[in-house]
Formats: sequence, structure tokens, C-alpha cells
Amino acid sequence: MAEARSIVDPALDTRPIAEAPPARKRRHLLLALGIAMLLAMLLVTALGPWIAPYDAIATSPDSLAGPSTQHWLGTDSIGRDVLSRLIIGGRTTLLITFVAVSLAVAAGLVLGLVSGYVGGLADELIMRGLDIVFAFPVFLLAIAVVAALGPTVPNLILTIAIVYTPIMARVVRAPVLSVKRWDHVEAARSVGVGELRIAIVHVLPMVMSPILVQTSLTLANTIFTVTALSFLGIGPPPPDPNWGGMLSEARQFMELAPLTVIGPAVAIVFATLTFIVLANGLRDLLDVAGH
Amino acid sequence: MSASAKPLLQVQRLSAQFTRDAVVSQVVKGISFDIAAGEAVGFVGESGCGKSVTARAMMRLAPEGSSVELGGVVRFDGQDLLQLREADMCDIRGQRIAMVFQDPMTSLNPVLSVGAQIDDIMRRHTGVSRAQARRRTVELLGLVGIRDAARRSEDFPHQFSGGMRQRVLIAMAVSCQPDLLIADEPTTALDVTVQAQILRLLLRLRQELGMALMLITHDFGVIAGMVERVYVMLDGQIVEAGAVDDIFARPQHAYTRALLDAVPRLESAGRLMP
Amino acid sequence: MTRVVLVRLAWMLPILFGVSVVAFALMRALPGDFAQAAAGTADLTPEALETIRRGLGLDQPIWAQYLVWLGGLASGDFGSSFVTHKPVLGELLPRLAVTAELTLMAGAMAMALGVFTGLASARLRGRTDWFVRGFNGLLLAVPNFVVATLIVLLAGLYFPELGIFNYTPFFTDPLGNLGSMLLPAFSLALAVSVTISENTRAAVLEVSSQDFVMVARAKGLRPGAILRNYLVRNALTPVITVTGLQLASLLGGSILIETIFTIPGMGQYLFDSITSRDYPVIQAIVLVAAVIVLLVNVLVDVAYARVDARVSYG
Repeated sequence: MAEARSIVDPALDTRPIAEAPPARKRRHLLLALGIAMLLAMLLVTALGPWIAPYDAIATSPDSLAGPSTQHWLGTDSIGRDVLSRLIIGGRTTLLITFVAVSLAVAAGLVLGLVSGYVGGLADELIMRGLDIVFAFPVFLLAIAVVAALGPTVPNLILTIAIVYTPIMARVVRAPVLSVKRWDHVEAARSVGVGELRIAIVHVLPMVMSPILVQTSLTLANTIFTVTALSFLGIGPPPPDPNWGGMLSEARQFMELAPLTVIGPAVAIVFATLTFIVLANGLRDLLDVAGH
Repeated sequence: MSASAKPLLQVQRLSAQFTRDAVVSQVVKGISFDIAAGEAVGFVGESGCGKSVTARAMMRLAPEGSSVELGGVVRFDGQDLLQLREADMCDIRGQRIAMVFQDPMTSLNPVLSVGAQIDDIMRRHTGVSRAQARRRTVELLGLVGIRDAARRSEDFPHQFSGGMRQRVLIAMAVSCQPDLLIADEPTTALDVTVQAQILRLLLRLRQELGMALMLITHDFGVIAGMVERVYVMLDGQIVEAGAVDDIFARPQHAYTRALLDAVPRLESAGRLMP
Repeated sequence: MTRVVLVRLAWMLPILFGVSVVAFALMRALPGDFAQAAAGTADLTPEALETIRRGLGLDQPIWAQYLVWLGGLASGDFGSSFVTHKPVLGELLPRLAVTAELTLMAGAMAMALGVFTGLASARLRGRTDWFVRGFNGLLLAVPNFVVATLIVLLAGLYFPELGIFNYTPFFTDPLGNLGSMLLPAFSLALAVSVTISENTRAAVLEVSSQDFVMVARAKGLRPGAILRNYLVRNALTPVITVTGLQLASLLGGSILIETIFTIPGMGQYLFDSITSRDYPVIQAIVLVAAVIVLLVNVLVDVAYARVDARVSYG
């Protein structure tokens, strides 16, 4: 999965200036699609325990079964219903994803605003600190932190929040820096309008667009990280099902029951795609030129 | 007026229409003019009057991403350029008709040496070897006034000033000895002091090589002393045409008069106008 | 020019320092006992544990431990593995070479694929453009380990004779080695190729609208020559930059790919170490990975600045 920052890296805007904004209709189509996908996912996972046909951790002697009317997606090697596990597994995955990214956005907002607005030494320190985190390959860092702290759900959330805070902070800082220099902000300041008010009225709106787009991208990346970590066995601990773990376990007998692999694969792709579509839809709508 | 033989370039009812984002704009509205072999002709008008588009239409150089519809006839040495296959048009560009553009700062490829950029046009149109091309390139650079040409030919565009880059571009344009040189606002982006030098260079080259020259500009001051005839364009049409002295002395169209008035004068009034 | 390089390297130093601190702190900030982990599963008396602790220098204040560790790094001593009791560096280097091979192959594939599709997308426009961009968007949504697992599934179902898991070392059988790395490298390359494709497309579109391309056309140069010498040569610089910056992503992905295809690289080494709580190894790998990424980023920066000098003066 490509790093989010390579698509929306503030330092690398190579989108051509001559590219016309997408046609009116298309601008909203992607966003609508993304929202629809997101709502579908949220609905299914929220209603999870009530709509899942079986208990997700209940085993049965009917192992590695193909799709049937009883088990729409078949069963895994110890007879657990694949569909139910996908539905329930989605809850944990999405929970971790949303909470972790919310934390990252919050931390990134604070750091980016402070860094960009206050400037000077604070800016330097914060940016260098973030650069240090940036230097580590995201996934390796996540693995190392989880290894150090232990694979529990709270630790996973914390790890992901830490790992994605730097990009958020950068995304916030860029528009803050440019807005700071605007003439009417200078004017407002000279008339005596308080700094806080300036921050809220002028700076915050500028920051919203790139933050929204980056949040979607980070959500997509987080799905990758969470599922990858659980694929390696250092995700949410058993017995709760999770997509990455399901994919990994399925490898042993996958030729016998391909659905045990395809099921989680499709789920992971769908979730990731949802956020990517959302990100593109938001980007088209807000016409963010990759800042 | 034009030479007694058939003119080198004969344009009849040329029109150019751009379509972008479903908006159609007709930029050139059926103009006719001609240029004789070896003759220098000026095209004057303000920005947006269609003079540059005329030149690019003749060369069939549509900007990236736009579609252009061309109408009329552009007869060059007997052939209608608008009907040629692209491959044949490609042969004519650079070799029989060459063009010098307005902004020398962006007209050169930053990653190739200036020598390479003159070599490649010669090697494209004539079968010369790399060594022969480079020899000729160095000659040309000397011809346009670049000192230490041999060493400079290996330098990159960013190592030259604007005026010198324009010289390089002119060298490039005349390298295959075209029959017609189109200069589209060749001095507009240059310092005033350099402008006169470039114009003199164009004049000299024209005389030495016997090319026809189509000089496009918004400034009547540039035209004086450079061309024999003038076409005045306004809003996609030719509103006045004539010998340069006649135009200066007795401008017929109100717009021509306005353009002439716009030229700053150093001498006291009354010398150039009746 | 050298000044630019020196400045960039100077900037790197505090970050390197911070990276080393983080790598060090990660392993020392454990809930469990470092000495206990060093002992492994052996059940030890408190005295024996204390001996180990002193042997590892854990009785010193934390900053002293850090300096000792740092000093060790400078002389190539990355500590010894808790599992094999052999120096980490010796175990790490051959595995690093394997990962490097995988990463380079993946990078090359990603560039080839990405530049080709990006170029096609930018020059052919229309339906090709739509297809490539749509396909790219879809590819981004498929994580590399999912691709790898699906490839293994497909191979198992339809091409069982294709020995997927038989990695052979390079010096034993170069051709076999390359062959066994093809599919793994491809899984890793796919997602990265998307970024390269999009950047190539954008760069080519941008360059095509530049004046000097119009001038090239006016010179009567053939389309092929214009593509090679004017479009691609100018568009390639930002593309190479982006590819270099993808290294971090490639390194991170390698751990997953190596696990799936059972390739004995650094990534798999990391994973094994986590399972066996071999902390010195984890520490070393994290540090090495970060340093490599930093170095490559600096290199890319410098290379870009060099080319940019030509372009930005214009």
C-alpha cells in the first residue's frame, strides 16, 4: 500500500496547472459513492451481532465447507462461519481504525496549528521531532512499537495514532503558514483582533479541506496497517476475529477452501477502497490541488 | 508590393476556431494575405487580435489539450499546408518555415545543451553527421553574436541571459536556411537595450540568407525599419494593409492611428506624423 | 553544490540522533524485564538474573546505557542476539542483502510499470487514460500482502508445478534466485507502481504544456524524438524523486512479502525476533531501516537539487 504522504506530500505537488477541474456531475459522483460505501460498512458492522447468522467464534465439525445456503461463504478450518467472522471482525478493525485516526487528527491539528502559527523555535522543534518519526518506515515502526508495548487493542490504537500524527501535522501546518501571511489577516491583526479569533475565523477553514482529504487517505492506510499487523499475528488478540488474522490463518488450507482467503481479501479491499473513493471524492469536491 | 512571380506564401480566407470545455471561440475570421520570397512583412495588433494564432495556424501547431478547426487555404510554394499530412508538415517545419517565439526564458529545453538543441534540428532535416552538425552549430552561434561559441555550445540554457537565449533561438531557427522565418513578438520579453540588438540581428540575417520574414508584434516602433509591408489586425481580421511608409504617413483606419499614437517618441512631435 | 550536500547532511544529524534514541528507547521501555528476555525461557535464580543484568550493563543509568550502545554501534557492535548469542551484525547483513535485492527488484518493476502506464495515460488520453486511472485507483485498495496471498492461492490452484516457496540464494543459483523473487517483487511493486504512474502522468502533462515542447514541434522534430529528449527527460526527474521516496513503503512491505513467500530477508528476521523477543535484533533492524531511508531521502534530495538548478534558473 503506498504511503499516504506520497500522494498528498506537501513538497511534491506535480499536478499540472492546466488540468481542468472535473465535470460538475463527476465531482459529486465519487463522493456520493464513497459515502454510500461507508454507510453500508458502518451499518453492517454496527448491526453485526444481530445480523450475523452464526456466533463468530463458535466452532463446528463442518470445516472447510464451500458456500451453501447454511454458510453463505463457507466455513474455515475449524468450522467457524466465514461470513459471521467477517462481519464481527469488521467491528474491531473499524473501531481501531476510527479511534486511532481521530487521535492522530487531533494531535496533528494541535501540533500543526502550534507549529505553523507560533513559528520560530517551537516550529523547528516540533518539525524535527516529527521528522524523526517520519524517518521510520511506517509499518516497521508500528511493528516495533506494538512489539514493545504488547499487542492489545489500546496499544494498537496508540501506535497507529503515533505513526500517523506527523503527516497530519504537516498537512495542517502548510495552509497555516500561508494564511498567516495573508493581507487581510495582517489587517485584522493590526486592528487588534485577537490571535485566537484570527486562528478560528481565518485559519481553520483553510485547514479543513486538506485535513478532510488526508484523513480519508490515512483511514485507508490505517486499514492496511491494522490488517497487516493482525496478518502477522500482532494485531488484536484472539479469540476475536479480525480480517488480517483470518487471511493469515486461511493460508494453510486455502486451496481446499478458497473463500476463506477471498472473503477477508474482499472485505479488506472494500474497506480500503471506501476511504480512497471518499478521499478522491472529497478532493474533487474541494478542488484541493494536493497543496 | 509583392514580387512579380507567384508569392512564396499565399493565405486565403484563413480562419481558426478553438473549442475548449464546450466553448467555441473564433480567433481568426477569414483573413487573406501574402508574402513574397525574400520579403519582410509585419503583422501588428494588440494582444488577442489573432496574429500569433495566425502564425501557429499556418504552422499547424495547436496548443496541447485544445482542438483547433482551421479553414481556408495556406498555399506555401504551391502546396496547401492545411491539407498536408502531419508527417509532411513535420518536414516543412523547421526546414522551410521556421519560427522564433516570444519568451526566450522558457523556449529552450533545460536538460539539453544549447549546442545539442541546434544540432538536433539540423540532423533532423539534413543528413549531416554529429560532428558536422556541431561545427555548423558553432558557426551559427558565432553568427548570432555569441562569443566563445565553441565552449558556449556545451553550456545549458540556464547559463545564458534572456537576450543571449533569444540569439540561440534565432540561430536554431535559421540553421536549416528556411524560406520563411516567422518571428512572433521576438523582443517583447527582452530588455529595451537588448531589443534593438535582436532586431538588428534579424535584419542582418535576413539580408545575408535572403529569407522572407513575417514579423509579429504589438508595437509599431518595432516594425519601423524592419519590414516593407504591414498588415494591421484587430479582433481576428485584417483592417488595414499597405507599404510601411504609407501606413506610417497616412493611416486610414482609426485603430491603426491609435496603434501609431501608442508608440513612444523620442524625437519632437511633428517629425513622423503629418 | 557541495555546500548543499553538506547542509542536507547536517540536517540529517539531529534526526539520526533522534532516530537512535527512539530505537534504543523502544526496546528499553518494555513492560517485561530486559534481562529476563535475555535469559529466554530459562528459569533463573535472582542472583543469576542479577549477573545477567550486570553483564548487559543494565545496572547503569539509562543515559549511560545509551552511550555505551551508541559507542558499540560506531564500532560495528550491534549487540548479540538473545537467541543465537552471536553478534547481530553478522546475522543481519546477509539478510539485509536479500531484502535489498527484493526491494530493488520491486522498485525497478514498479518504475517500469508505472512510467509505462503513466506515459500511456498522458499521451494517449481518452479511454486509455480513464482505464489506467481507474485501474490504479482499484490497485491502491489492494494491500500488498493481499496481492501476495492471492497470488499464492492462484498458483496453488492453477499452477501447482510453479514452486512458489523455493527461494534459492543468489550465489547458489543466480537464475533460480531471480525467478523465485519475481512474484514476491511483483506483489510488492504493484501498489508502488500506482504512485509512480500518477506522478509520471502528471509530470508528462505538465511538461507537454511547456513552451520548449512547442518550440521542439516547431523545429519539425519527429514525435518520437520529442517524447524521448524533451518530454521524458524532463518529466523523469520528479518521477525518480518520488520513486526514491517510496523506499520506506517498500521496506515496510517487504516484511509481509518475505513472510508469505518464506524469503530469508531482514523483514522475516524482524518478525522472528518479535516472536522470540530477541530485542537487540529488533533494535538493530529498526535502526538500520530508518538510517537507510534517511540516507536515500538525502540522496534523492541532493540529486533533485542538482537537476533543479538547471530548471529553476530558467
